[in-house]
Amino acid sequence: MTFKRLMRLYALYAKMDFAWLLRDAWFAVLAIVSEWISNIAAITGVFLLAWRFDGIGGMDKFEVLLMLAYYTVVTGVFQLFFASNNTGHISRRIGHGQFEHMLVQPVPLAVQLLTEGFIPFSGSSKLISGVVIMCIAVAKLGLPVTWWWVLSVAGNVAVTIAIILGQSYLYSSLAFYAPVQAEEISTYAIDNVGYISSFPLSGMPVYMQLPLITVIPSGLLAWFPTLALLGKPPLGLPGALPLLFAVVLAALASILFRKGFRYYVQKGTNRYLAWGHRR
Amino acid sequence: MPLTATCEGLHKQAVISGELNALCGQNGLHRAFLRPNDEGDEETMYILRYMKTARMAMLGQTNGGLLYLIPGILLKLFHLVPLMFLWRTVLADGVDAGMSMGQMMTYTYLSALLSDMLAVSTVATLWCYEGQLLDLFLRPMGIFGHLVVQTAGGWVPMLLSFSLPMAAIAPLLGISMVPASAWFFPSLLLCVSLGFAIDFLFACLMIRLKNSNWLIHVIRNAVTALFSGSLIPFSLLPFGLGPILALQPFGSLGGAPLSIFAGIAGPGRVVLLQLFWNAVLWPAAVLAFGKSQERLMSYGG
Repeated sequence: MTFKRLMRLYALYAKMDFAWLLRDAWFAVLAIVSEWISNIAAITGVFLLAWRFDGIGGMDKFEVLLMLAYYTVVTGVFQLFFASNNTGHISRRIGHGQFEHMLVQPVPLAVQLLTEGFIPFSGSSKLISGVVIMCIAVAKLGLPVTWWWVLSVAGNVAVTIAIILGQSYLYSSLAFYAPVQAEEISTYAIDNVGYISSFPLSGMPVYMQLPLITVIPSGLLAWFPTLALLGKPPLGLPGALPLLFAVVLAALASILFRKGFRYYVQKGTNRYLAWGHRR
Repeated sequence: MPLTATCEGLHKQAVISGELNALCGQNGLHRAFLRPNDEGDEETMYILRYMKTARMAMLGQTNGGLLYLIPGILLKLFHLVPLMFLWRTVLADGVDAGMSMGQMMTYTYLSALLSDMLAVSTVATLWCYEGQLLDLFLRPMGIFGHLVVQTAGGWVPMLLSFSLPMAAIAPLLGISMVPASAWFFPSLLLCVSLGFAIDFLFACLMIRLKNSNWLIHVIRNAVTALFSGSLIPFSLLPFGLGPILALQPFGSLGGAPLSIFAGIAGPGRVVLLQLFWNAVLWPAAVLAFGKSQERLMSYGG
């Protein structure tokens, strides 16, 4: 699989997404608008609080805005690359008994998972709104925007996405064993951990902060990387902590996902009836 | 035409179902079918249908065993605990927030305990998407009534396994579980009632948009979270937004009974607004659902 072939696949999915946009323009507009509304509403509450009290837990109101913008950019990138075809919410594919469909495709599994979720036209609204909010926050904070700072933001976003996917794939391993019960486990892993991610953890006691950057890594999805980008990583921890966490999580997810997959290959799935319908 | 045939088929089924109900009722068979040893009158049987539906919905939550409730309970705790610490952080410096720390804790705690009732979500949109909603037309019960008891029955396991124990231990955590006003109870009732009306309106919107249930879900969650005041009390919002947001229909949902319970708002104005929105949105929901039925038959559901 060459880089050129990978790009061609991205182009193919972009074309299909654009065709969908043209096929049902009214629906597509509604989808984009609803994402905008959802996105703005998700961060408005916390920002209004920060505005009212001139910051939260030692974070300035525009630092809170930067954190919310970071969170929006992360969810935007996830939406752009992993929302379609449930490549991010992989437990649904496994639980539906659709995972083996990918094995007969003439493209490596990893490449399918990397490209199938790409929806640049219908799924970019969150990313765009996140970038706009980030620009406002950066301007208000007067941060010097250098090329390495921008690269640092991109790197941090990539690491955060790796953590989100790592969690999703780690928990989704269960779906190989219990497809019905664990079908929606990715949703819990992604959405419920994400719910807390828009909260600034600054000012909370350490015994609350530590579990939220380790056991349940909500704090690593926006709060920690934002403070690291501002040059003041919390709790005196190194700014590279999310990267370290992502590597460990990826290794663990890889081992357990492969183990679950082997079980799936040997046992199959019980989701299909003899005449092909899903239970 | 296959579509016409389908509609006719459904119509015939509904007629047959109605005739059977009437026949069984006349012969006492219907009564025996629902409750073999019951000798109650028709009115009792009418109520019994709804009670049985609620019971089935309740048992449906625990079909896999009581252990299956644990993830839901853990998630509620996972949402509640950081939120309470966030409020402690926000109000830690003794800032003037228009409410005390104790009131804020009570507000947040109760919001988690009654979350299902404060933001009512029936199965209407899901069943419409999955094509099950049409089945309701074949049952000897009203559509709204069915959905209401189905939803309310589904609340019971979580109320018993999470809300009740949490309410019992609240005083140990220093959280008051005594309402500031008895008007909390009618306000909660009006909140639930309005929640159903709004849910039915969203279901109609979904029927109108031809099964765009994901869009409706996204918009609804976003709007409800911000505009209902369940998560962030209106009185904490800047720019004088609180009093304005309290006037819109979502403002009469979760935030209304919670603010009465915590003693943040006076009951008179809040309850009157709830009555007003119930009076406006229930007829709108009934009218909109009536108009949606033909579309439901044509496009599926």
